[in-house]
Order: sequence, then C-alpha cells, then structure tokens
Amino acid sequence: MQSRVSLVAIALMIIVTAGCADPPTEQIQEAEKALKDARESGASTYSPDEYAKLEGTLDALRKEVSEQDGKFALFRDYGKAQQLSISAKADSERIKVAAAQKKEEGRAAAMQAQQVAEEAVRATQELVAKAPVGKDRAAVETIKNDVEGLKSLLKQVQDSIDKEDYPAAQTQAKAINEMSQGVQAEIQQALAKVGRGKPSFSRKH
Amino acid sequence: MYVGQVNRALTLALCIFSLTGCVQAVPPDLLTALESIDQDLIALRAPETAPEEYGSFVRQWIALKTRAELDDDLIKWPWETGELENELRGLYLLGERTVSQLHDRQAARQRTAQSKVEGIKDRLHRLTSQIESIDGRIVLGEQVVQADLLVRQARFFLEGKDYQRAIQIAEEAHQAILEQTALLAEELGRYADPKRIASWQTIAQQTIAWSRTHQSSAIVVNKAERELTLYMSGRKVLSYPVRLGFNGIREKQFQGDGATPEGRYRVTDKRGPGQTQFYRALVLDYPNAEDRRRFDLSKKAGKIAPGKGIGGLIEIHGVENESAEQTLGCVMLENPSMAALFERVSVGTPITIVGALTEDNAVSLALSALAQHKEEI
Repeated sequence: MQSRVSLVAIALMIIVTAGCADPPTEQIQEAEKALKDARESGASTYSPDEYAKLEGTLDALRKEVSEQDGKFALFRDYGKAQQLSISAKADSERIKVAAAQKKEEGRAAAMQAQQVAEEAVRATQELVAKAPVGKDRAAVETIKNDVEGLKSLLKQVQDSIDKEDYPAAQTQAKAINEMSQGVQAEIQQALAKVGRGKPSFSRKH
Repeated sequence: MYVGQVNRALTLALCIFSLTGCVQAVPPDLLTALESIDQDLIALRAPETAPEEYGSFVRQWIALKTRAELDDDLIKWPWETGELENELRGLYLLGERTVSQLHDRQAARQRTAQSKVEGIKDRLHRLTSQIESIDGRIVLGEQVVQADLLVRQARFFLEGKDYQRAIQIAEEAHQAILEQTALLAEELGRYADPKRIASWQTIAQQTIAWSRTHQSSAIVVNKAERELTLYMSGRKVLSYPVRLGFNGIREKQFQGDGATPEGRYRVTDKRGPGQTQFYRALVLDYPNAEDRRRFDLSKKAGKIAPGKGIGGLIEIHGVENESAEQTLGCVMLENPSMAALFERVSVGTPITIVGALTEDNAVSLALSALAQHKEEI
C-alpha cells in the first residue's frame, strides 16, 4: 500500500515537473538582443545575406516557441527552441564582428581614397600657384575656378564618411582625384606654353 | 515447425520492412538545391537590391532548414505525408522563380543604368561644349565641377555593378545639369531678350551714325560674336575677332570680376611701345557716369560686396604674351589687327560695347540648344 502511494507521488511529481516546462525566455531575449546589436553594428548593410538568415532563424525560433506554447503542458518541449536561441545568439555575435570588420574596411578604403583626393587637390593648388601671374594669370582663371570647386567637393567626401556612406565617399574621392589629374594636365599645358609666371604691375580692370 | 517458419518469416519481413520502409523525410539533394538557390540570390546581390524578396525566401528557407535539422521525424514511414519535403519543393520553385525574376530585373537595371550614365555623360559633354563656345564657364562657378563629379561617380558605380546607385547618381547629375542650364539662362538671358537686344542695336546705330556725321572712325564690339568692327564715316571697314575678359560674357559689375563692360565709351589714351605692357593699347573711359550710377545702385541694393571697387583701366589691347588666352575684362586683339586698328583710331574715338546685335546670336543659340535637350538623359 505504501509503495503504491510512493509510486503515485513520484508520478505526480514527474507530471508537475514536466508540466512546468518553461520557454527559454532569457536565452530568447539574449538572442534577440544579439540580433539587435548586430543590426546596429551595420550587419544589415555589410552582411545583408547573413543578417537576413539570422532574422529567419529568429522567426523559426518564435514559431517553435509558439508551437510548444500551444501544446498541452505535458507535451511541451522547449529543447529545440533553446538550441535555436543559443545558435542564433552565437551567429549574431559572429555576424556583428564580421560586419564591424567589413564596415571598418569600407571606412579605411574611403579614408584612403579621401587622402589620395586631398593630396591630388593640394598638388593641383600648388601647380596653380606656379602658373603665370599678372596678365597671364587670366588664362588660368577658369582653372582656378575649377580648383576652388574641387576643394569644396572634398567636403562632400567628408560628409559621406560622416554619414558612413563609404561607397559614396570612395567614388566621390576617386572622381575628385581623376578631375584633379585632368586640371593638372591643363595647367601643365598652360605652363609649357607660357613658362613660369613673372611679376606684373598692378592693374585695375 | 510450422509456427517456427511463420515466426522466422515474420521476423524477416519486419527486418526488411524496417530497413526499406523508412525513408528520409527530406532528400539531401533538395537541401543542396535550395542552398544553391540561396547562393544564386546572393550572387545577384538580392540581399541589397531586393531585400524584400530575398528576406521572404530566406525566412522560409531558414525555417524549413531548421525543421529539417532539428526535427525528430527526419526518417518517416512510407505512409507518412512528406509535408516538409513538399514545403521545401514549393520553396525551391519559388526560389527558382525569384532567381529568374531578379536576373531579368538585374539585366534591365543594368541596361537602364548604362543608358542613363551614357546619356548623362553625353548631356554633360554637350553642356560643356556649349558653355565653352560662349566662354560661360566662370558664370557657373563651382557648379561645373559638381556635375562632373556626379557623372564620374555614376560611372564608377556602374563599373562596380551597383546599378541602382549608378541610376540614382545619374539622376542627381541630371538635376545638377538642369540647375546649371537654369543658372545660365538666368545669368545670360539678356542675350535672348528682344528689348535688351533692341537697346544694344540702338546704341550701336547711334555710334555708326556719329561716325557718319563726323566723318570719323568709331568702333563697335559685339560680345556674343566676339567681334570688333571699325567704322569709318559710317562704313564698316574692318572686322576682327577679339577675346574678352575671362568672365567677359557677363556685364561688368566690380573690379576683378573678369567681365567686360557694356556701354558707350571713348578712347582716352593711345599707348604705344614702352607705354603699355601690351603690344599697343587704347584706353577707354571706363567707368563713365552711367557705369558709376549702375555700380552705386547695385551696391545700395546689396548686389555688390561693400569692399568692392568699380575697377578701371579697361582697354582694347594687343597681346603681351602669345599664350595669353583671356584678359581680365579688356578687349584683346591679335597684334597685326591691333596695329591696323591703332593706326585708324584717335583719342576721342567712340567705342560701343554691346552684348549682341541680333536675336539669333551665339549666346542665345547656345541657351536655346541647352533648353531643347533639358529633359533628355
């Protein structure tokens, strides 16, 4: 009789324990937070395919939890959900690092292109300074106008970098460099024609 | 004996059934094929260019893949329905369709980007040619390089196969070119203004009439056509091409603007060798009373910065250096032409500088050509 009572007690304990299976809320929250962190670090931009897959994993995780929640308490099993949330968190963290790395690479490439463009504009300015002065300077007024334009375009590169639009910054810097080379060639041609500048008496006009 | 045989037969049947009756819930080839569809979509840059379509596919794919990886029912009985397999097959068909659609869309986008970038390059080239033909580059200031930058940027995006960005930047370049065209029309619109042209015609005719009346020489400079004409006793005797200030197409406003003044002037001094840095020079009485009145009005209206002066020493001169291609506001002739003019002109000779004398002048034609093509790219 006593052993029967014990068996019933054990059975009840198992039922209660099994019936109290809870979803891995904390792990799910951690996985969702990891996904959010990955997005904020630029994963949706720099690793869009992997980020989309992660969102898919989170969807699958939510669906799995919802399916288990819908079952009779005794049959609930959140093992798969737990497994998914652990792997989603790990993947999010990996993608976050990878995206940050890609972003940094993009930034470094944009800054390098910016440096090259700045150098090209500076060299162009120096060349303009060597261009003929006085009356001859008139021939390079248009070029000077272009150089002023190039200087203001450099601000746009910085704006793009500030907005973290590195592809735009890179193409802008590349274009400025190309344009500077063109202007330099024009000045070299002018210099070849008239030689170095000479002082000219001041005039009104 | 009989029972034993039956048992053995049943056991054998059960073993055979167990070994052959259970089948895999998802054929591995199907998973590989879907993996391949995903790779195709990534290669088509679907995550960046078609995030919604890619997101829709990949969410389903990951959900089903997760089920396939986690499910206990990876092995199913023959009588069980292959629900997972069916869903995967459905997704495969959807993926194939998406790849095909994106491929077509990508090809169309590439064609559009190429056409837009080529169109905008052509448009910029035409604008640049027209601007150079009328020496209007300075009028546009830094906007010229802005449009140039955008056109080059669009080309770089096209080369990098970022067609969407190439199209977007080409459209921005188109906008910049439209703004430049509008600015040119605003700044140089007077060359197409019949009233202004009529007033220029009037002062030119008055100068020629003066020459006729006084049996003397007179000069008319036509800025749009870059032409200087010498009249003797009201008759046209010489005509020379001239170069104006680097911003000569504009009307002079202040010192250093590179613009060539418009109005009625007289020669106040003739400078020969040793008296000018140029080959020969005819000094004009700029600024005259009308110039000063206009300058004061503009200054009061805030159109001219307070520190700016009206300028002066506007001349018709020869070339100092063979390579000087533009002047700072004067009218420049080739030395042989200047020599011929210098001989025929004396102090007091009237010189009238006008923007244009006909409605179909070079500047108005350039503006009209730009306006005609403004919607094209």
